[in-house]
Amino acid sequence: MSPEALFQIANPIALMGWLALIAAPLAPRLIDLITALIIPLLLAVAYTALIFAHWSGATGGYSSLPDVMALFTNPHIALAGWVHYLAFDLFIGAWAIRTARTERIPHMLVLPHLALIFLFGPAGFLTFHAMRLVFRLSAPKTGVSA
Amino acid sequence: MTTLTARPRANFATRMGIDAPIFTGLALFIALTAIPLIAAFLIDTREFLHAPVWQKPLQFHLALSTFFITLAFFARFLPTPMTTRRWRIYAGVVCFCVLAELVWVSGAAAFGTASHFNINSPVMAALYGLMGLFAVVLTSPSLAMGIAIARNKNTGLSPALHLSIALGLILTFILTLIAAGTMSSGTSHLIGTPVTHESLPILGWSREVGDLRTAHFFATHALHALPFVGLIAARALSPTTARATVWVSAAAYCALVAFAMVQAFQGQPFL
Repeated sequence: MSPEALFQIANPIALMGWLALIAAPLAPRLIDLITALIIPLLLAVAYTALIFAHWSGATGGYSSLPDVMALFTNPHIALAGWVHYLAFDLFIGAWAIRTARTERIPHMLVLPHLALIFLFGPAGFLTFHAMRLVFRLSAPKTGVSA
Repeated sequence: MTTLTARPRANFATRMGIDAPIFTGLALFIALTAIPLIAAFLIDTREFLHAPVWQKPLQFHLALSTFFITLAFFARFLPTPMTTRRWRIYAGVVCFCVLAELVWVSGAAAFGTASHFNINSPVMAALYGLMGLFAVVLTSPSLAMGIAIARNKNTGLSPALHLSIALGLILTFILTLIAAGTMSSGTSHLIGTPVTHESLPILGWSREVGDLRTAHFFATHALHALPFVGLIAARALSPTTARATVWVSAAAYCALVAFAMVQAFQGQPFL
Protein backbone atom coordinates (compact mmCIF):
# COMPACT_ATOMS: atom_id res chain seq x y z
CA MET A 1 0.00 0.00 0.00
CA SER A 2 1.39 3.42 -0.96
CA PRO A 3 2.10 5.96 1.79
CA GLU A 4 -0.35 8.36 0.12
CA ALA A 5 -3.15 5.78 0.29
CA LEU A 6 -2.45 5.09 3.98
CA PHE A 7 -2.39 8.83 4.66
CA GLN A 8 -5.82 9.14 3.02
CA ILE A 9 -7.15 6.48 5.42
CA ALA A 10 -5.42 7.62 8.62
CA ASN A 11 -6.47 11.27 8.41
CA PRO A 12 -10.27 10.78 8.33
CA ILE A 13 -10.05 8.19 11.12
CA ALA A 14 -8.33 10.72 13.38
CA LEU A 15 -10.73 13.45 12.28
CA MET A 16 -13.70 11.32 13.31
CA GLY A 17 -12.11 11.06 16.74
CA TRP A 18 -11.84 14.84 17.02
CA LEU A 19 -15.47 15.33 15.94
CA ALA A 20 -16.49 12.77 18.55
CA LEU A 21 -14.54 14.68 21.22
CA ILE A 22 -16.48 17.86 20.43
CA ALA A 23 -19.67 15.88 21.08
CA ALA A 24 -18.21 14.14 24.15
CA PRO A 25 -20.91 15.27 26.65
CA LEU A 26 -23.52 13.32 24.63
CA ALA A 27 -21.93 9.93 25.39
CA PRO A 28 -18.89 10.49 27.64
CA ARG A 29 -17.88 6.90 28.27
CA LEU A 30 -18.34 5.65 24.71
CA ILE A 31 -16.54 8.62 23.19
CA ASP A 32 -13.72 8.31 25.71
CA LEU A 33 -13.33 4.65 24.74
CA ILE A 34 -13.21 5.54 21.04
CA THR A 35 -10.90 8.56 21.27
CA ALA A 36 -8.56 7.53 24.07
CA LEU A 37 -8.25 3.87 23.19
CA ILE A 38 -9.70 2.47 19.96
CA ILE A 39 -8.54 5.08 17.44
CA PRO A 40 -5.09 5.59 19.03
CA LEU A 41 -4.62 1.80 19.09
CA LEU A 42 -5.60 1.52 15.42
CA LEU A 43 -3.14 4.26 14.54
CA ALA A 44 -0.50 2.59 16.74
CA VAL A 45 -0.87 -0.63 14.74
CA ALA A 46 -0.37 1.34 11.51
CA TYR A 47 2.62 3.17 12.99
CA THR A 48 4.26 -0.02 14.23
CA ALA A 49 3.73 -1.75 10.89
CA LEU A 50 5.28 1.22 9.04
CA ILE A 51 8.32 1.16 11.32
CA PHE A 52 8.65 -2.62 10.99
CA ALA A 53 8.47 -2.39 7.23
CA HIS A 54 10.52 0.74 6.53
CA TRP A 55 12.85 1.61 9.41
CA SER A 56 15.74 -0.49 8.11
CA GLY A 57 15.49 1.13 4.67
CA ALA A 58 15.58 4.70 6.00
CA THR A 59 18.62 6.89 6.33
CA GLY A 60 19.19 9.21 9.29
CA GLY A 61 18.37 8.72 12.97
CA TYR A 62 17.50 10.48 16.21
CA SER A 63 20.88 11.83 17.25
CA SER A 64 21.12 15.13 15.34
CA LEU A 65 18.74 17.51 13.60
CA PRO A 66 20.13 16.70 10.11
CA ASP A 67 19.68 12.99 10.97
CA VAL A 68 16.06 13.55 11.96
CA MET A 69 15.49 15.60 8.81
CA ALA A 70 17.04 12.85 6.71
CA LEU A 71 14.69 10.37 8.33
CA PHE A 72 11.68 12.38 7.17
CA THR A 73 12.85 12.43 3.56
CA ASN A 74 11.61 8.84 3.42
CA PRO A 75 7.85 9.08 2.67
CA HIS A 76 7.03 5.94 4.69
CA ILE A 77 8.85 7.26 7.75
CA ALA A 78 7.32 10.73 7.27
CA LEU A 79 3.91 9.04 7.19
CA ALA A 80 4.79 7.09 10.35
CA GLY A 81 5.73 10.40 12.00
CA TRP A 82 2.41 11.90 10.93
CA VAL A 83 0.48 8.89 12.26
CA HIS A 84 2.41 9.30 15.52
CA TYR A 85 1.10 12.91 15.72
CA LEU A 86 -2.44 11.81 14.91
CA ALA A 87 -2.44 9.07 17.54
CA PHE A 88 -0.86 10.98 20.41
CA ASP A 89 -2.58 14.32 19.77
CA LEU A 90 -5.98 12.64 19.82
CA PHE A 91 -5.00 10.77 22.99
CA ILE A 92 -4.08 14.08 24.65
CA GLY A 93 -7.32 15.63 23.38
CA ALA A 94 -9.31 12.81 24.96
CA TRP A 95 -7.32 13.22 28.17
CA ALA A 96 -8.14 16.97 28.26
CA ILE A 97 -11.86 16.26 27.84
CA ARG A 98 -11.74 13.59 30.56
CA THR A 99 -9.75 15.81 32.94
CA ALA A 100 -12.08 18.75 32.38
CA ARG A 101 -15.06 16.54 33.21
CA THR A 102 -13.63 15.29 36.49
CA GLU A 103 -12.50 18.80 37.44
CA ARG A 104 -15.86 20.30 36.48
CA ILE A 105 -14.46 22.64 33.87
CA PRO A 106 -17.30 23.48 31.40
CA HIS A 107 -17.03 21.60 28.12
CA MET A 108 -17.47 24.79 26.08
CA LEU A 109 -14.32 26.22 27.70
CA VAL A 110 -12.27 23.18 26.70
CA LEU A 111 -13.21 23.40 23.03
CA PRO A 112 -10.75 26.20 22.11
CA HIS A 113 -7.94 24.24 23.76
CA LEU A 114 -9.11 21.13 21.92
CA ALA A 115 -8.80 23.03 18.63
CA LEU A 116 -5.27 24.05 19.60
CA ILE A 117 -4.30 20.51 20.54
CA PHE A 118 -5.74 19.34 17.21
CA LEU A 119 -3.72 21.86 15.19
CA PHE A 120 -0.61 22.47 17.31
CA GLY A 121 -0.59 19.69 19.93
CA PRO A 122 1.74 20.97 22.66
CA ALA A 123 0.45 24.56 22.37
CA GLY A 124 -3.06 23.39 23.28
CA PHE A 125 -1.65 21.18 26.04
CA LEU A 126 0.01 24.29 27.45
CA THR A 127 -3.08 26.53 27.33
CA PHE A 128 -5.29 23.77 28.76
CA HIS A 129 -2.94 23.46 31.74
CA ALA A 130 -2.98 27.24 32.17
CA MET A 131 -6.77 27.11 32.35
CA ARG A 132 -6.70 24.19 34.82
CA LEU A 133 -4.44 26.23 37.09
CA VAL A 134 -6.80 29.20 36.93
CA PHE A 135 -9.74 26.98 37.86
CA ARG A 136 -7.84 25.44 40.74
CA LEU A 137 -6.76 28.81 42.15
CA SER A 138 -10.24 30.29 41.87
CA ALA A 139 -12.02 27.28 43.39
CA PRO A 140 -13.76 28.02 46.68
CA LYS A 141 -11.51 27.01 49.56
CA THR A 142 -14.21 26.65 52.20
CA GLY A 143 -17.36 24.63 52.51
CA VAL A 144 -18.20 21.10 51.54
CA SER A 145 -17.37 20.24 47.98
CA ALA A 146 -20.41 19.53 45.87
CA MET B 1 -3.13 -33.46 49.50
CA THR B 2 -6.45 -32.15 48.30
CA THR B 3 -5.06 -29.39 46.10
CA LEU B 4 -6.83 -30.72 43.04
CA THR B 5 -10.31 -30.78 44.53
CA ALA B 6 -9.66 -27.55 46.41
CA ARG B 7 -9.06 -25.61 43.22
CA PRO B 8 -11.95 -23.31 42.39
CA ARG B 9 -14.30 -24.21 39.59
CA ALA B 10 -13.87 -21.82 36.72
CA ASN B 11 -14.58 -21.53 33.04
CA PHE B 12 -12.15 -22.63 30.34
CA ALA B 13 -10.08 -19.45 30.08
CA THR B 14 -10.13 -18.51 33.76
CA ARG B 15 -9.04 -22.01 34.68
CA MET B 16 -5.86 -21.66 32.63
CA GLY B 17 -5.21 -18.30 34.27
CA ILE B 18 -5.47 -19.94 37.70
CA ASP B 19 -3.36 -23.02 36.91
CA ALA B 20 -0.65 -21.31 34.86
CA PRO B 21 -1.03 -17.54 35.05
CA ILE B 22 2.36 -16.74 33.53
CA PHE B 23 2.05 -19.08 30.54
CA THR B 24 -1.56 -17.99 29.93
CA GLY B 25 -0.54 -14.34 30.01
CA LEU B 26 2.45 -15.05 27.77
CA ALA B 27 0.29 -16.84 25.18
CA LEU B 28 -2.21 -13.99 25.16
CA PHE B 29 0.51 -11.35 24.89
CA ILE B 30 2.18 -13.17 21.99
CA ALA B 31 -1.16 -13.47 20.21
CA LEU B 32 -1.98 -9.76 20.67
CA THR B 33 1.45 -8.57 19.54
CA ALA B 34 0.90 -10.48 16.29
CA ILE B 35 -1.59 -7.75 15.29
CA PRO B 36 1.02 -5.16 14.20
CA LEU B 37 2.95 -8.00 12.53
CA ILE B 38 -0.11 -8.81 10.44
CA ALA B 39 -0.32 -5.12 9.50
CA ALA B 40 3.39 -5.13 8.57
CA PHE B 41 2.82 -8.32 6.56
CA LEU B 42 0.10 -6.48 4.60
CA ILE B 43 2.10 -3.34 3.77
CA ASP B 44 5.64 -4.72 3.44
CA THR B 45 6.49 -5.98 -0.05
CA ARG B 46 9.97 -7.25 0.79
CA GLU B 47 10.82 -10.94 0.53
CA PHE B 48 13.49 -13.03 2.17
CA LEU B 49 14.33 -16.49 0.79
CA HIS B 50 11.29 -16.22 -1.49
CA ALA B 51 8.81 -15.66 1.34
CA PRO B 52 7.34 -12.36 2.65
CA VAL B 53 9.68 -11.11 5.38
CA TRP B 54 6.93 -11.06 8.04
CA GLN B 55 5.77 -14.61 7.42
CA LYS B 56 8.32 -16.12 9.78
CA PRO B 57 7.63 -13.77 12.74
CA LEU B 58 3.92 -14.46 12.31
CA GLN B 59 4.55 -18.21 12.28
CA PHE B 60 6.62 -17.88 15.45
CA HIS B 61 3.93 -15.87 17.24
CA LEU B 62 1.25 -18.36 16.18
CA ALA B 63 3.37 -21.39 17.11
CA LEU B 64 4.58 -20.12 20.49
CA SER B 65 1.14 -18.83 21.44
CA THR B 66 -0.32 -22.25 20.65
CA PHE B 67 2.47 -24.01 22.57
CA PHE B 68 2.02 -21.98 25.75
CA ILE B 69 -1.77 -21.97 25.73
CA THR B 70 -1.54 -25.77 25.43
CA LEU B 71 0.88 -25.96 28.37
CA ALA B 72 -1.45 -23.69 30.36
CA PHE B 73 -4.33 -26.03 29.58
CA PHE B 74 -2.41 -29.13 30.70
CA ALA B 75 -1.26 -27.33 33.87
CA ARG B 76 -4.56 -28.40 35.49
CA PHE B 77 -3.16 -31.93 35.72
CA LEU B 78 -0.11 -30.88 37.72
CA PRO B 79 -0.05 -31.74 41.43
CA THR B 80 -0.04 -28.02 42.26
CA PRO B 81 -0.84 -24.92 40.15
CA MET B 82 2.20 -23.28 38.56
CA THR B 83 2.10 -20.54 41.16
CA THR B 84 4.66 -21.94 43.58
CA ARG B 85 7.87 -19.96 43.87
CA ARG B 86 9.93 -22.49 41.88
CA TRP B 87 7.45 -22.64 39.01
CA ARG B 88 7.17 -18.85 38.88
CA ILE B 89 10.94 -18.35 38.66
CA TYR B 90 11.19 -21.07 36.01
CA ALA B 91 8.24 -19.62 34.04
CA GLY B 92 9.82 -16.16 34.24
CA VAL B 93 13.06 -17.46 32.72
CA VAL B 94 11.07 -19.23 30.00
CA CYS B 95 9.13 -16.01 29.26
CA PHE B 96 12.37 -14.10 28.88
CA CYS B 97 13.69 -16.67 26.40
CA VAL B 98 10.44 -16.62 24.40
CA LEU B 99 10.34 -12.83 24.17
CA ALA B 100 14.05 -12.65 23.27
CA GLU B 101 13.48 -15.22 20.53
CA LEU B 102 10.52 -13.27 19.10
CA VAL B 103 12.35 -9.93 19.19
CA TRP B 104 15.30 -11.57 17.44
CA VAL B 105 13.13 -13.09 14.69
CA SER B 106 11.13 -9.88 14.16
CA GLY B 107 14.27 -7.73 14.33
CA ALA B 108 15.90 -9.80 11.60
CA ALA B 109 12.70 -9.55 9.53
CA ALA B 110 12.65 -5.76 9.94
CA PHE B 111 16.17 -5.64 8.52
CA GLY B 112 15.29 -8.13 5.80
CA THR B 113 17.95 -10.55 6.95
CA ALA B 114 18.19 -14.06 8.38
CA SER B 115 17.70 -14.86 12.04
CA HIS B 116 18.46 -18.60 12.07
CA PHE B 117 21.61 -19.70 10.21
CA ASN B 118 22.87 -16.10 10.17
CA ILE B 119 26.63 -16.16 10.78
CA ASN B 120 27.41 -13.19 8.52
CA SER B 121 28.56 -11.00 11.40
CA PRO B 122 30.02 -11.88 14.81
CA VAL B 123 27.00 -10.33 16.54
CA MET B 124 24.43 -12.26 14.52
CA ALA B 125 26.43 -15.47 14.85
CA ALA B 126 26.64 -15.05 18.63
CA LEU B 127 22.92 -14.28 18.78
CA TYR B 128 22.11 -17.39 16.74
CA GLY B 129 24.03 -19.55 19.19
CA LEU B 130 22.41 -17.90 22.19
CA MET B 131 18.95 -18.26 20.66
CA GLY B 132 19.58 -21.97 20.20
CA LEU B 133 20.12 -22.22 23.95
CA PHE B 134 17.02 -20.10 24.60
CA ALA B 135 15.02 -22.38 22.29
CA VAL B 136 15.95 -25.39 24.44
CA VAL B 137 14.98 -23.51 27.61
CA LEU B 138 11.62 -22.44 26.20
CA THR B 139 10.80 -26.00 25.09
CA SER B 140 11.85 -27.50 28.43
CA PRO B 141 8.63 -26.80 30.39
CA SER B 142 7.06 -29.44 28.18
CA LEU B 143 9.46 -32.00 29.67
CA ALA B 144 9.15 -30.69 33.24
CA MET B 145 5.35 -30.69 33.06
CA GLY B 146 5.27 -34.11 31.36
CA ILE B 147 7.29 -35.66 34.18
CA ALA B 148 5.28 -33.88 36.90
CA ILE B 149 1.98 -34.98 35.33
CA ALA B 150 3.26 -38.56 34.84
CA ARG B 151 4.06 -38.71 38.57
CA ASN B 152 0.79 -37.13 39.68
CA LYS B 153 -1.60 -39.83 40.89
CA ASN B 154 -4.51 -37.44 41.43
CA THR B 155 -5.16 -36.12 37.95
CA GLY B 156 -8.64 -37.62 37.82
CA LEU B 157 -7.86 -38.79 34.28
CA SER B 158 -8.37 -42.23 32.84
CA PRO B 159 -5.04 -44.14 32.71
CA ALA B 160 -4.78 -44.00 28.91
CA LEU B 161 -5.45 -40.26 28.68
CA HIS B 162 -3.09 -39.60 31.60
CA LEU B 163 -0.36 -41.58 29.86
CA SER B 164 -0.97 -39.88 26.50
CA ILE B 165 -0.72 -36.37 27.97
CA ALA B 166 2.48 -37.16 29.88
CA LEU B 167 4.01 -38.94 26.89
CA GLY B 168 2.96 -36.19 24.49
CA LEU B 169 4.58 -33.51 26.64
CA ILE B 170 7.79 -35.47 27.21
CA LEU B 171 8.10 -36.51 23.55
CA THR B 172 7.50 -32.94 22.41
CA PHE B 173 10.68 -31.94 24.20
CA ILE B 174 12.79 -34.94 23.16
CA LEU B 175 11.68 -35.06 19.52
CA THR B 176 11.90 -31.27 19.11
CA LEU B 177 15.39 -31.29 20.56
CA ILE B 178 16.42 -33.95 18.03
CA ALA B 179 14.62 -32.46 15.02
CA ALA B 180 15.48 -28.81 15.66
CA GLY B 181 18.98 -29.63 16.91
CA THR B 182 19.75 -31.58 13.75
CA MET B 183 18.33 -28.78 11.61
CA SER B 184 20.41 -26.12 13.34
CA SER B 185 23.62 -28.12 12.93
CA GLY B 186 23.34 -27.59 9.16
CA THR B 187 23.38 -24.37 7.17
CA SER B 188 19.74 -24.26 6.00
CA HIS B 189 16.38 -25.85 6.71
CA LEU B 190 16.31 -26.99 3.09
CA ILE B 191 18.11 -30.03 1.70
CA GLY B 192 18.58 -29.45 -2.02
CA THR B 193 18.44 -26.44 -4.30
CA PRO B 194 14.94 -25.16 -4.99
CA VAL B 195 14.14 -23.74 -8.42
CA THR B 196 10.47 -22.75 -8.38
CA HIS B 197 10.36 -22.18 -4.57
CA GLU B 198 6.88 -23.69 -4.47
CA SER B 199 5.81 -24.10 -0.85
CA LEU B 200 2.80 -25.02 1.25
CA PRO B 201 0.64 -22.10 2.42
CA ILE B 202 1.06 -20.97 6.06
CA LEU B 203 3.44 -23.83 6.91
CA GLY B 204 5.88 -22.71 4.22
CA TRP B 205 7.40 -26.18 3.69
CA SER B 206 9.10 -26.66 0.35
CA ARG B 207 7.19 -28.77 -2.17
CA GLU B 208 10.33 -29.25 -4.23
CA VAL B 209 13.20 -30.26 -1.98
CA GLY B 210 13.75 -31.69 1.51
CA ASP B 211 12.56 -29.41 4.33
CA LEU B 212 13.67 -30.21 7.89
CA ARG B 213 10.97 -27.95 9.33
CA THR B 214 8.41 -30.69 8.67
CA ALA B 215 10.03 -32.96 11.25
CA HIS B 216 10.27 -30.05 13.71
CA PHE B 217 6.55 -29.37 13.24
CA PHE B 218 5.51 -32.97 13.91
CA ALA B 219 7.97 -33.27 16.81
CA THR B 220 6.59 -30.19 18.54
CA HIS B 221 2.95 -31.20 17.98
CA ALA B 222 3.36 -34.49 19.88
CA LEU B 223 1.68 -32.72 22.81
CA HIS B 224 -1.45 -32.33 20.66
CA ALA B 225 -1.37 -35.55 18.66
CA LEU B 226 -0.86 -38.07 21.48
CA PRO B 227 -3.44 -36.67 23.92
CA PHE B 228 -5.88 -36.67 21.00
CA VAL B 229 -5.21 -40.39 20.48
CA GLY B 230 -5.47 -40.94 24.25
CA LEU B 231 -8.81 -39.14 24.42
CA ILE B 232 -10.34 -41.30 21.70
CA ALA B 233 -8.73 -44.55 22.91
CA ALA B 234 -9.90 -43.99 26.49
CA ARG B 235 -13.48 -43.59 25.32
CA ALA B 236 -13.58 -46.34 22.71
CA LEU B 237 -11.42 -49.10 24.15
CA SER B 238 -10.96 -51.10 27.34
CA PRO B 239 -8.40 -49.59 29.77
CA THR B 240 -5.69 -52.13 28.94
CA THR B 241 -6.16 -51.87 25.18
CA ALA B 242 -6.36 -48.09 25.41
CA ARG B 243 -3.02 -47.86 27.22
CA ALA B 244 -1.43 -50.22 24.71
CA THR B 245 -2.85 -48.11 21.88
CA VAL B 246 -1.27 -45.00 23.37
CA TRP B 247 2.13 -46.70 23.64
CA VAL B 248 1.93 -47.97 20.06
CA SER B 249 0.80 -44.55 18.83
CA ALA B 250 3.71 -42.89 20.63
CA ALA B 251 6.11 -45.28 18.89
CA ALA B 252 4.39 -44.66 15.55
CA TYR B 253 4.59 -40.92 16.12
CA CYS B 254 8.34 -41.13 16.78
CA ALA B 255 8.59 -43.13 13.55
CA LEU B 256 6.68 -40.39 11.71
CA VAL B 257 9.16 -37.77 12.92
CA ALA B 258 12.07 -40.03 11.98
CA PHE B 259 10.50 -40.63 8.57
CA ALA B 260 10.05 -36.88 7.99
CA MET B 261 13.71 -36.32 8.88
CA VAL B 262 15.03 -39.13 6.66
CA GLN B 263 12.80 -38.01 3.80
CA ALA B 264 14.05 -34.43 4.12
CA PHE B 265 17.68 -35.55 4.19
CA GLN B 266 17.01 -37.45 0.98
CA GLY B 267 15.96 -34.14 -0.54
CA GLN B 268 12.32 -35.16 -0.87
CA PRO B 269 9.43 -32.83 0.04
CA PHE B 270 6.85 -34.18 2.50
CA LEU B 271 3.92 -33.20 0.27
